[in-house]
Amino acid sequence: MQPLDPIEEILARLMPPALSQGRQLEIEEMIDELAGPDASTHEPPASPWWRSRMVIGGGIAAALATLCAFIPSKSNTPIAKATHASSPIPSSEMVLISESDRIESMTDEGLQDEVDGSAMHALRVNAVGQNSLRDEESGMIVQISELREELLLTPISAF
Amino acid sequence: MNCPANSWKQWLAENGPRLLLFARGWSNSRQDAEDLVQEAILRMWHHQADKGSTPPDLPLVFSTIRFCGLNHHRSESRRRKREESVIYLNDFQDVWLDPVLEEDEEAVILRHAVQHLSQKLRDVVVMKFWGGLTFLQISETLAISPNTAASRYRYALEQLAQELRRMKEDRNATA
Repeated sequence: MQPLDPIEEILARLMPPALSQGRQLEIEEMIDELAGPDASTHEPPASPWWRSRMVIGGGIAAALATLCAFIPSKSNTPIAKATHASSPIPSSEMVLISESDRIESMTDEGLQDEVDGSAMHALRVNAVGQNSLRDEESGMIVQISELREELLLTPISAF
Repeated sequence: MNCPANSWKQWLAENGPRLLLFARGWSNSRQDAEDLVQEAILRMWHHQADKGSTPPDLPLVFSTIRFCGLNHHRSESRRRKREESVIYLNDFQDVWLDPVLEEDEEAVILRHAVQHLSQKLRDVVVMKFWGGLTFLQISETLAISPNTAASRYRYALEQLAQELRRMKEDRNATA
């Protein structure tokens, strides 16, 4: 072992103080919160018999709801576009079973003057994107809807 | 099975002082240094989640404290300047290192000298001496070569020796 430098010998007589007691406790509490309930001491309750049946029932209901969504309806909005896909989403047990993009409403906002003196025709579009996913394990079907609003500007070159 | 929270608490009890000392170099007060340590531990917890939630390696924590310290320097420089004067007046008893022995004059002189080393030299001294890191680990933490880490350490020891001599001479002259 390498002999200590005389300065190192003096440095060895200095020790860093501990964290304050309050901070030590605070960090320990933070660790406890981050760790969450100890899985080894809390046994998860056994699933009752009716729970599995409820999951199956729920899955069937969701499947029916999705099936209904596929049936074309006359009360639908004027423009509707739907595409169906069956490509599985990578790294997940969820499978994409349908994907649609529906325009709910369109509002003509007329002409808008631009700074450079040109004119644009503005059209506000409210659309709903909807994805249906099926959990391969439980059979549950999840629908994710995304509302969005777009303003389409078309340059007007001649009146 | 060992609970991660318990192993982290044990790790904290063992390494808390050396982390606090390193954090002192990146903050203006003990409270700020403790904030840095806590922030680093929080980041480390999330970082280690993919690694079985085991306590992290010390070099990585030093590096995280340094990163958090740099962030604080950038985002709170103006606030720091304002607080520095207050801390200077109220913080003279708030020391970074405690002498093991009472009335150890040399140790007290070196404590002061360590605090006043440049950031680059102090980081290396703290990580090497109190953190127990090798020059290779220090070089990885600071993104420098192991030779640079070693030469900074030697240079820091020289400066500390010089400061010790100077202080002793001053005291002898006034005695």
